[in-house]
Amino acid sequence: MSLVEIVLAVVKILILALFFLNMAALSTWADRRQGAMVQDRVGPNRAVVYLPNMVARVIVLLPPALFGVLAIFSSLGQLAGRAAAERFTMNVQLTILVAWFSLLVLCAKVRSGGAINRAEQMFEDTDPRSIFFAGLGVHAIGLVAGRLVPPAAIPLAAQVSGFVLGGVFLLVGLYATSRVPDGKIPLRLAGTLHALADSVKMIWKEDFIPKNADRLLHGLAPVLAVFSALAVMAVIPFGNDLCFADGNKNGTLDLSDLGHLLATVPASGACNGFRVKLQIIDLNVGILYVFGIAGTGIIGAAIAGWASDNKFALLGGLRASSQMVSYEVAMGLSLVGLFLIYGSVRMSDMAVWQGQNAWGVFVQPLGFVLFLTALCAETKRVPFDQPEGESEIVAGYFLEYSGFKWGMFMTGEYIELVFSSALLVALFFGGYSLPFLHPDGLNIAFGDTVLFQYKMTHLAVSLISAIAFFGKTVFVTWVQIFFRWTLPRFRYDQLMKLGWTKLLPLAIANMMVTGVVVLALRNAGPAADSWLKLLADITQGVVAVATLAGFVAVVVGLLEPVERKKFLASSAARFAAAMGGVKPEPQQA
Amino acid sequence: MEPLDRDLEEGLLELPSEPMMLNMGPSHPAMHGTVRIVLELSGEMIQKADVQIGYLHRGFEKMCERGTWTQIFPYVDRCNYVSPMLNNVGFALAVEKMLGVTVPERCQYYRVALGELARICDHMICSGAMCMELGAFTPFLYFARAREIIWDIFEEETGARVTHSFGRVGGMASPPTKHFKDMIRAGVPRVLQLINEGEKMLLKNRIFLDRLEGVGVMSKEDALALGWTGVVLRASGVPYDVRRAHPYMVYDRMEFDVPVGTTGDNYDRFMCRQEEIRQTWRIIEQALDQMPDEGPINIEDPRIILPPKQDVYTTIEATIQHFKIVMEGIKVPAGECYSYTEAGNGELGFYLVSDGSGTPYRVRIRPPCFATTQGLEQLITGLMIPDVVPTFGSLNMIGGECDH
Repeated sequence: MSLVEIVLAVVKILILALFFLNMAALSTWADRRQGAMVQDRVGPNRAVVYLPNMVARVIVLLPPALFGVLAIFSSLGQLAGRAAAERFTMNVQLTILVAWFSLLVLCAKVRSGGAINRAEQMFEDTDPRSIFFAGLGVHAIGLVAGRLVPPAAIPLAAQVSGFVLGGVFLLVGLYATSRVPDGKIPLRLAGTLHALADSVKMIWKEDFIPKNADRLLHGLAPVLAVFSALAVMAVIPFGNDLCFADGNKNGTLDLSDLGHLLATVPASGACNGFRVKLQIIDLNVGILYVFGIAGTGIIGAAIAGWASDNKFALLGGLRASSQMVSYEVAMGLSLVGLFLIYGSVRMSDMAVWQGQNAWGVFVQPLGFVLFLTALCAETKRVPFDQPEGESEIVAGYFLEYSGFKWGMFMTGEYIELVFSSALLVALFFGGYSLPFLHPDGLNIAFGDTVLFQYKMTHLAVSLISAIAFFGKTVFVTWVQIFFRWTLPRFRYDQLMKLGWTKLLPLAIANMMVTGVVVLALRNAGPAADSWLKLLADITQGVVAVATLAGFVAVVVGLLEPVERKKFLASSAARFAAAMGGVKPEPQQA
Repeated sequence: MEPLDRDLEEGLLELPSEPMMLNMGPSHPAMHGTVRIVLELSGEMIQKADVQIGYLHRGFEKMCERGTWTQIFPYVDRCNYVSPMLNNVGFALAVEKMLGVTVPERCQYYRVALGELARICDHMICSGAMCMELGAFTPFLYFARAREIIWDIFEEETGARVTHSFGRVGGMASPPTKHFKDMIRAGVPRVLQLINEGEKMLLKNRIFLDRLEGVGVMSKEDALALGWTGVVLRASGVPYDVRRAHPYMVYDRMEFDVPVGTTGDNYDRFMCRQEEIRQTWRIIEQALDQMPDEGPINIEDPRIILPPKQDVYTTIEATIQHFKIVMEGIKVPAGECYSYTEAGNGELGFYLVSDGSGTPYRVRIRPPCFATTQGLEQLITGLMIPDVVPTFGSLNMIGGECDH
C-alpha cells in the first residue's frame, strides 16, 4: 500500500467518522426536538453561549465575505468550453439561490422583529411562500435564459456572473452584519448546543461501578458497543468514483497524480487512469462484513447486562441478545432477493446497479419493509426498545452505567441509527446515485428516447453524488427518528413471534419469488430487457418528480405562517399579564 | 419403544434452575404511587407476585381525629391527588348526612359539575399514564394538556389547581364565578377534542391493542368477590355505578349511560374510562343547563356555616359565631353513618362516628383503590414482566387513598 493510498484512506475515514459522529450528536438533539414538535412544546434549547457583539458580527460577516471573495477571485481567470458553461450556470443559479434565501430570512426577521427602515416595511405583509415560489420561478427562467447566451460569449458571461455572485454575497453579508443587534448575542443554534453541553456534562460525571460488578467487563462493554457501530461504516460507498490520470507516466498512483483529476469520463464510468473509490474499503464480501461486525454489537449489550450485577440489567442483556440474534436472521434473509437482482454483495456494485437501473426500493418493496423492520429491531429503537424498556426494566442493560460509559452506549446507539440509515440508502435508495445523473452528466432518457442531455465535469458529478448520499442519509435518519414518540413498545414474546413467524417466512417467500422472477426475466430475451429498461427509467423519473414535489411541499409547509389560537388563559396567567408579567399562558393549544 | 431416559426424573435432564426474585418498586418508573411488587420469575414469566402497599402511609385516619370536621377537607384532598374535588364532595356529603341537612339545589349542581370535571381529569391521566408507560409518550402529553384546561377552570373557581380544599360542610367555600358556565362550555369540548386526537393515535395501533387485549383478565365473579367497584368492576361486566344505583345529589335527574365491558381485560378498562369521559360531559352539560344562576350556595344555619367576613369584623353576633365554629368545630350529633359516592376509581365511602363534639371520634375511609390493588396479584400471576405495566396502570392505583 503506497503512501498516497494511506493518505486517501485516512481522509475518507475522517470524512465518514466525522459525519457519523456529528450526525449522532445531532440526532440526539433531533430526537428530543422532534418529540417536542409533535407534542407542541419547546425542545432542548437551554444551552446557550453569549457571544461578544464584535465576534457575532464577524461570524455573520465572515462566511458570505469569504464566499464572495472566492467567487470573484475564481472568476478572474478565463475558462473555456464546457467548464465555462458549467461555471456560468452554477453562478447564475447560486446567485438566485442566495438572493431568495436571504430575502426569506429577512422577511422572517421583519415579521417577527419589525422593520427598521422603509425598504424593509414592504416585507411586513409579504407571505414568505410567495418569495419562495418567485425564487423557484427565477431559477427556471435562469436555466432557460442561460441557454440563450451565444457560445462565444459564454466565457465572458461566466466571469461576469461570478462577479455578480460575489457582489450579492458581500451585499448580503454586510446587510446581515448591520442587522446584528447591540449587546451580547445569545447563541443557541436551535438547541444543538444542548447536545454539546450534554457530552461535556457526561465527561465530568462520576463513573459509578457497582460494588460486586465485574470491573473489567463492565468497562469493556461500552467500548464493544461503540466499536461495532463505528467499524461497519468501512464498506459504505459515499460518492461516485474519482478518476485520476497518470500525470508523470510512471504507472503508479502517487501524490503528484492527485492534481490530474480527469475532466470527463464516459457514461459507463470506465476510467483509464487510476480509480479512487469514495469508500473506505471495497470488500468483496461487502454486506456480509456489515452483518458480521454489526452482530458483535450484541456482545456489548450482553456483557453490559451480565457484568452490572443487577437483575434488571441482566434481564435487559438477555432481551438484547435474544432480540438481536433473532432479527439478524430475518434481516439477512430479507436481503437475499436484492443480492439475486444486483448479482453481487459488493456495496459499490450495488450503488452502480441502482444508478444504471432502478432503486432497490422499487425492485424489492417487500424486502425493503422487512429489512426496515429488522433494522429497527437491530438498532433497538421504539417500538423494539425492550432491552431498555424504561417503564419495565428501568433502563435495561445500561442501568448501572453513568458518566461517559453511559454516553458511549448512547453514542453507539445513535451512530447505529445513522449507520442504519446509510445502509438503507446504500441498499434501497440508490446509494450515491441520483436519477438520470450519469458519470458524464445529466441524461434524462426513457428507454431510448432522450429528452434532455447536459454534459458535466467529472468532479461536479462526484461532488453532487457525495452530497446526495449524505443528504439522503440525513433524510432517512430524520424519518427513522419520527418512529419514536408515538409508538408503544411490543411485549417480549410478541416481538419474538413477529420475528420468527412473520418476518422470517415472508423473507423466505420473498427470496423464492424473486429467484423465480429473476430466472424467468433472464431467459425472456431482448424485448423484455428493453421493457425493463423503460420501467426502470420511469421509476427514476418518479423519484425525481417526487423529490422535487416533496422538497417544495416541505419548504412551503415550513414557511406557512403559524397562527396559534390562544385559548382560555388561567387567572394566574391573566393576572400576571395584567401586571405586566411574563408568565406564559399555558393554553397555547 | 420406551424412551431411554425413563429412569431419570424430569428435573435431572435440565440444568438446575431456581426462580429469580425481583423487587419491582417501591422506587420504579411504573410503580406510581409507590407500591412494591416482589416477583418470583421464571425467565420473564411471573410465577408468584407479592404486592406490598404502605409506602405512602401517613396516618390519614388518625390525623382526622384531632381537628374539627372542617379541617379534614385538606386531608381528603390528598387522598386522591388526581381528582381531589370528588373526595371533597364525598366527605362533605358524609358529614351532611350525619347532620341531617341538604345543601341548596344550586350548590348540588355546582358540586356535580365540579366533581365531574375532576372525574374527566382522573380518567384522562390514568389512560395517559398507561400509554406513556407502554412507550407511547405523545398521547400522554395530549391528555396532560387537556387536563391543564380543566385545571385552569378549577384555578379560576377555587383558587388552587390541584388540592382545592374547596368543599365545606353545608356548601362550598365560595359561590360559582360569573363565567363558570361559559368557561366549562368553552373548555370541555376542547378537552374532548384533544382526547379524540390522542385516542386516534392509540386505537388504530396494532401494537397498543396487542398489549392490552386479553391481558389482565378479571372475571365478573372474582371482581365482585374482591370488592372491586368503579370502572374496573364495570369493565368486568357489572353495571354498578353509585350514581345510578344509589343516586345522590341530583344524579337522579341526569341522563347518562353506564359503559360496561365484556371481558374485563386491560382493553375494556381503558375503553370504559374513555367512554365514561364522554358520558361525564353529558352530565356536565345537563348540570349546567339545569343549574340556577341565582340563589344561595350554602345552607342557612349559623351553627354550620361561617358568617360573612365583613360581619365578623363589625358585629358581635357574627364574631361569636365565627369563634365557635373555628375553635370548637361544627357540632355533629352523636352517632355513626356510612356515606358513599362514586369517586374516580369507584365507590368512595366514609364511615364516620361522632361523639357529639366538634371533633370526629373516628373517620374511616373506604378507598376504592384498596380493594382494587388486592386484585393485582391475581391479575399478574402467570403473565410477563411487561404486562405488569399496563395491568397496574389500568387499575389506577392511587397511593394516597390506598394507604389510608
